[in-house]
Amino acid sequence: MSSQVKEQESKVFALLAEYDNPAKLMKAAKLVNRAGYTKFDAHSPFPIHGMDDAMGLKESKLGWIVLSHALVGFAGGLALQVWASSIAYPINIGGRPFANIPAYVPVTFELTILLSAFAAVFGMLFLNNLPKHHHSLFNSENFQRVTDDKFFICIETEDGMYSEEETMKFLEGTGASHIEQVYE
Amino acid sequence: MAHTKLTDNIQFPDSANPSRIIIAIGVVGIIASLVGVVVNYEQFLHSYLTSFTFFISIALASLFLVMIHHITRSSWGTTLRRIPETFSSYIWVFAILFIPILLGMTTLYEWTGDLADRNVFYQELSEYKSPYLNITFFVIRNIIYFSIWAFLGYKLYKKSLDMDETGDWGIDTTLRKISAPGIFFFAFTVAFASFDWIMSLRFDWFSTMFGVYYFSMSFQMIFAVLILMALYLRGKGLLLNTIARPHISDLGAWLFAFTVFYAYIAFGQFFLIYYANIPEATLFYHYRLEGNWQYLFYAVIFGRFVIPFLVLLSKPAKRNYTVLRIMSVMIIASHVVELYWLIMPSMHATFSLHWLDVTTFLAFAGIFFGLFFFYFKQHSMVPKNDPKLVESLNKH
Repeated sequence: MSSQVKEQESKVFALLAEYDNPAKLMKAAKLVNRAGYTKFDAHSPFPIHGMDDAMGLKESKLGWIVLSHALVGFAGGLALQVWASSIAYPINIGGRPFANIPAYVPVTFELTILLSAFAAVFGMLFLNNLPKHHHSLFNSENFQRVTDDKFFICIETEDGMYSEEETMKFLEGTGASHIEQVYE
Repeated sequence: MAHTKLTDNIQFPDSANPSRIIIAIGVVGIIASLVGVVVNYEQFLHSYLTSFTFFISIALASLFLVMIHHITRSSWGTTLRRIPETFSSYIWVFAILFIPILLGMTTLYEWTGDLADRNVFYQELSEYKSPYLNITFFVIRNIIYFSIWAFLGYKLYKKSLDMDETGDWGIDTTLRKISAPGIFFFAFTVAFASFDWIMSLRFDWFSTMFGVYYFSMSFQMIFAVLILMALYLRGKGLLLNTIARPHISDLGAWLFAFTVFYAYIAFGQFFLIYYANIPEATLFYHYRLEGNWQYLFYAVIFGRFVIPFLVLLSKPAKRNYTVLRIMSVMIIASHVVELYWLIMPSMHATFSLHWLDVTTFLAFAGIFFGLFFFYFKQHSMVPKNDPKLVESLNKH
């Protein structure tokens, strides 16, 4: 199979190393991170606590995206109600003040949450470059077991430190049970 | 980095025990409060009730936390479970401390009297509510509450200690079997207890949400208390690897979550009454939003919702001990202020701090924390043979 792919003379996308258990994956991720690789990713059938630290991932920017939208929702919701029922068309409801702040809380809250939720979902998709039709890793037969019982690290060829021989040698030293080249 | 077994000393050392200062504070508080009984009985009772509801809310919220921890088989807080367990192990003491309130209930609660000098509306209302609000039933109810809480608190503590001794993991199942029905009884008793203690100060007012309101206040505060306890232990160099940053930052996350929950419940109650605008329902808030009482109200809104919410929103803040410490102190202080704001307007038209408010608080603080350290030092500070301890130690 892989020889067939090679015959097509396509470009190597990444080196894919396979691990048997989460502990090995964690250890390997630490080594890869410490070696200075930046364009690499770890794949596992389930979330592993502490993986973010092991991979040296930076704090996600998602929080800031959500916060900015939340503030827009908050200000917008409040402004909408203040303008509509206190300024543009003041309504006397049971003798309460025109700028009736407690009554504005539910809608303000809902709009804040609505925009935050949208920002969280779409921001997450955006930061993950999703949706995508295809990813080169799916060219690997072994990689299919990532949804079952295998753990992977891939180092992309676009990484500044990548060199075919050395990276291969390096990955062999991280306790990988199998290493292969994945083509684009 | 991973700790697969306990590496810390799990015995509370004498050097870290602040018992002496606590006992001194407590004795001063008790003596001064006893003077207050003679000087101003009504004020004493109101101050006493405020302090009582504050300190029992620590014990009750601890009890709930322990039970929820057992029935969800959680592991995040196993290493710090002994602290709330100890808090809720001596609720029987509160049954004794409730006696002054029972003795003074004719002074404290208007519905115990015959209301001959009030207008017909109040007389009829009191008559209408008398099947529930009468002295005999009040006493019986409180006996039921305290027996249930004292039983649950002591049993969960005792069984957990048994597991320390024997290492029998079957006890974990027993703990769960106690907790599951325990939650059920807890929910009812706490709701009705808060109706009886605080809401019935004005028998013409009621809010069906009051039970969950008192609970949400208490449960928000318990995480602040636990953060301060954990940081106190850390400050003394204890359990450094056992109650570590992941556990404390989880407490911070809980504190944040239940800050929002509290705000939701408190605002829900306020909003419903505000919007419906039924005179007898709004009176309760009317008295509390008038004069200088309103400043306490705003202090509470900012002290236990707006500021903690904004500050604890970010992840690094939940991991920062200084931030957590400040927020915890602020939330606990707001909890006291809020209970004061709920109870005291039934006696005073305007807010003015009485010295008895302080002395009864000190008396309770002395008794409550004195007993806590008395029990805490006797056993290991961590449930050392708990089946989920390793998982909890390995927390990231």
